[in-house]
Amino acid sequence: MILAVLFANTDGNILVERFHGVPAEERLHWRSFLVKLGAENLRGARNEELLVASHKSVYIVYTMLGDVCIYVVGKDEYDELALSEVIFVITSAVKDVCGKPPTERLFLDKYGRICLCLDEIVWKGMLENTEKDRIRRLIRLKPPVEP
Amino acid sequence: MAQPLVKKDDDRDDEADYSPFLGIEKGAVLQEARVFNDPQLDARRCSQVITKLLYLLNQGETFTKVEATEVFFAVTKLFQSKDTGLRRMVYLMIKELSPSADEVIIVTSSLMKDMNSKTDMYRANAIRVLCRITDGTLLTQIERYLKQAIVDKNPVVASAALVSGIHLLQTNPEIVKRWSNEVQEAMQSRAALVQFHALALLHQIRQNDRLAVSKLVTSLTRGSVRSPLAQCLLIRYTSQVIRESSTNSQTGERPFFDYLESCLRHKAEMVIFEAARAITELSGVTSRELTPAITVLQLFLSSSKPVLRFAAVRTLNKVAMTHPLAVTNCNIDMESLISDQNRSIATLAITTLLKTGNESSVDRLMKQITNFMADIADEFKIVVVDAIRSLCLKFPLKYRSLMNFLSNILREEGGFEYKKAIVDSIVTLIRDIPDAKESGLFHLCEFIEDCEFTYLSSQILHFLGNEGPKTSDPSKYIRYIYNRVILENATVRASAVSTLAKFGAMVDSLKPRIFVLLRRCLFDTDDEVRDRATLYLKVLGGEVTVGETETDANDFLFGSFDVPLVNLETSLRNYEASEEPFDINSVPKEIKSQPLAEKKAPGKKPTTGLGAPSNGPVSAVDAYERLLSSIPEFAGFGALFKSSAPVELTEAETEYAVNVVKHIYDGHVVFQYNCTNTIPEQLLENVTVFVDASEAEEFAEVASKPLRSLPYDTPGQTFVAFEKPEGGPATGKFSNILKFIVKEVDTSTGEAEDEGVEDEYQLEDLEIVPGDYMRKVPVANFKNAWESMGPENEQVDEYALGVRESLAEAVSAVINILGMQPCEGTEVVPSNSRSHTCLLSGVYIGNVKVLARLSFGISGPKEVAMKLVVRSEDPDVTARIHQIVIES
Repeated sequence: MILAVLFANTDGNILVERFHGVPAEERLHWRSFLVKLGAENLRGARNEELLVASHKSVYIVYTMLGDVCIYVVGKDEYDELALSEVIFVITSAVKDVCGKPPTERLFLDKYGRICLCLDEIVWKGMLENTEKDRIRRLIRLKPPVEP
Repeated sequence: MAQPLVKKDDDRDDEADYSPFLGIEKGAVLQEARVFNDPQLDARRCSQVITKLLYLLNQGETFTKVEATEVFFAVTKLFQSKDTGLRRMVYLMIKELSPSADEVIIVTSSLMKDMNSKTDMYRANAIRVLCRITDGTLLTQIERYLKQAIVDKNPVVASAALVSGIHLLQTNPEIVKRWSNEVQEAMQSRAALVQFHALALLHQIRQNDRLAVSKLVTSLTRGSVRSPLAQCLLIRYTSQVIRESSTNSQTGERPFFDYLESCLRHKAEMVIFEAARAITELSGVTSRELTPAITVLQLFLSSSKPVLRFAAVRTLNKVAMTHPLAVTNCNIDMESLISDQNRSIATLAITTLLKTGNESSVDRLMKQITNFMADIADEFKIVVVDAIRSLCLKFPLKYRSLMNFLSNILREEGGFEYKKAIVDSIVTLIRDIPDAKESGLFHLCEFIEDCEFTYLSSQILHFLGNEGPKTSDPSKYIRYIYNRVILENATVRASAVSTLAKFGAMVDSLKPRIFVLLRRCLFDTDDEVRDRATLYLKVLGGEVTVGETETDANDFLFGSFDVPLVNLETSLRNYEASEEPFDINSVPKEIKSQPLAEKKAPGKKPTTGLGAPSNGPVSAVDAYERLLSSIPEFAGFGALFKSSAPVELTEAETEYAVNVVKHIYDGHVVFQYNCTNTIPEQLLENVTVFVDASEAEEFAEVASKPLRSLPYDTPGQTFVAFEKPEGGPATGKFSNILKFIVKEVDTSTGEAEDEGVEDEYQLEDLEIVPGDYMRKVPVANFKNAWESMGPENEQVDEYALGVRESLAEAVSAVINILGMQPCEGTEVVPSNSRSHTCLLSGVYIGNVKVLARLSFGISGPKEVAMKLVVRSEDPDVTARIHQIVIES
């Protein structure tokens, strides 16, 4: 299960958060935990360099894309490898929508598109679509081109 | 829902960088949402408003019921627009709002229309939305369309239906299971993603059918699976099949191993990893099987991607627990990871090295770790400390440098959990390595001179009191202990007084001087400290007599408290003041057993710490005891000795699910049948179990308590009680038939018919075995317990156990037969070992403590022999344990 997908800016303000199967009372804890993790480790990280952590039986893969920090949390079959796949899909879709690694402003300008991308990528805690070209077409309600 | 941590900070000076959601407010956005009702829809504007609504929701904002309903109704109007971009937003918005059942009806028809639309993408999205918001009744209406969609030519539609199926399987399994043929067809799809989703769904549908899963794996491992994701799934299913099937005993080959090995050469990293991990996790994996997997993992250790390095080192770390030698080849790569930027990777590398390192490399490793410890967080340090403890137990000769390391880090800054881990480790080393005792105690004494944690100080004082008097020069500890009485808070002072008294009681030469110190404590400001000092002075000074001898007095003062505190608390709460005094013997002593720290996942607290084993959560036994004592028929049976784990009497997924818990009393047994009715159309009444005890001659039925009513999916209990000869070892077999009156239920109204029909249902047989008279009770230190039990009631015998599958299988079979608690992790047999010693403890009915030491050996043709040494408080019980082994 992918438990959470979270976007924050460099100051730790939340831009997007989507939780799956995490009780409401635990979300605040997760949010602050992730933001703290990013504040400690993402400063100075290269663009799109993947960082990884595990907390109890839960795995976290996170990265920096432009000015935006992206965190993905998973457990069971979504271990660090599966999550790195998830975060790769997310970063490439976001770059595709924004045209480049986004500034915070650009990210918010494309907010609606990005929400649609996330909807295509993660469906109730499971990875669904993985190719950015396909996602680009799907969010415009165009059928994907099959190879 | 919780408010967001920090709302978007909007008052930026920089114009170019201002947020498009500057000053966004829920009320205003809800006002804007009225544009959805315009007769001439402006698709662009509507999309913008939906984006704002999404932003609010994603920031953790919530809508009240009224607001949500209003937005929902407005959004449904947007189905009139032909704009595809807007339609896509509408789909997302409906999912985010997750409307209630009465609202769903409003969009159902629009979505059904889209589901049959000519535009593929409308179909796909409508399916996803409908399946997200639908309930069981609506699902039967749309099932036909979903089945068509699964085999739709368009892969997006097929995937949407398949993934919906995976989600719906959780809530409506019986409906989704009917789609098996369509899913099978989708498996043949040329689209990689469809195949992946179909495989996942098909496996979930069939997961309880081992044969079907095995067939699925057999056919797919031969064929071509297109996407790497599907390949990963297949590897997981394959290892499941391998786990459930046995090795070919003639060639020693494992089915499907070739397939796993071939996956190691796949071009996708995720497949390689999945295969490598699957191989390392095979049960009883040999070093020949491990080698190729370890080789690919070793390559990943020097990958430029942190995720791959982490995954590799994590897997190798696990392998190192069972096969340290197989991992030694990677040690050089692993050592370079100690300086990895990512602390998680570095910690895993260190702990792996600590497991695989040999005696000669310990000193070099410790030097590297010392540099590393300064810049990692406490939770990582705890992992390292645990690993060092294990290493020291493995190489006792190296205790000097390891103990020095522990005492050094004990002096540095750190939080409570970290300090506790270090102290626990030192205590373990003192217990297990006699040479380390004096220096270890000295380090602990130094630590309490400047310890900010009351809990740790008291624990160490307690431990000092037990171990200090047995050292060559007990007097040197007194200064440290008495300093506590002068300098610390009341809790620590009280512990220090007890510790002083122990020295006084156990070392005669110190007694007069201890008395002087204790007398000073009589003027302490705290009453507990004064009380303790008074009690010890009176009892040790002989002014008050307790029992007959000095040993009795010492037992009274310092004897171990063998009742778990949680149980004592419950019993005291249940006790009602009356003529009859509270009897501590009525407190149940069973606690949930906890395996030894070494086997546990990292991060959990070790149990081999100070003092008595920590108490687990309130055990099920307490709950049972409360339940049974509330039933008048069973009230006269006395104290409950033991309750077994539930035994299933029905197969999985039958109409009625029944399991039984055996409650053992001295002169009775009570069977508690837990019944669940899984048919929504039925109500069961007057449910009883008819028990035929003709194969259990010593048992006579005395009472039965029927269950008045058993509605759908609400578990209930019925009981049957038997009388039996006092104590052990009456055994026997019982056959069971569930009897009841069944009434039809109208599922739409939930009302049952008045008339019912009598019916019965055959259950599986149930046995009372010798192990039922044994309670699993762990001992903190087996060696001490064994020696204090003494050889008076010892009996030794040797047994041939015949040909067994493996040594591990034989060990676990004997443990199960005896029903005793394995101690110190000895139930785990290292793979490939030829001999093994297992330590067991327990309490036999009648509250007789029993300890057993089992030595196993296995020969070439897998003949297993066992030597059994039993000690107990009662020679009859010792003999009876041997009898159990002989009879089975």
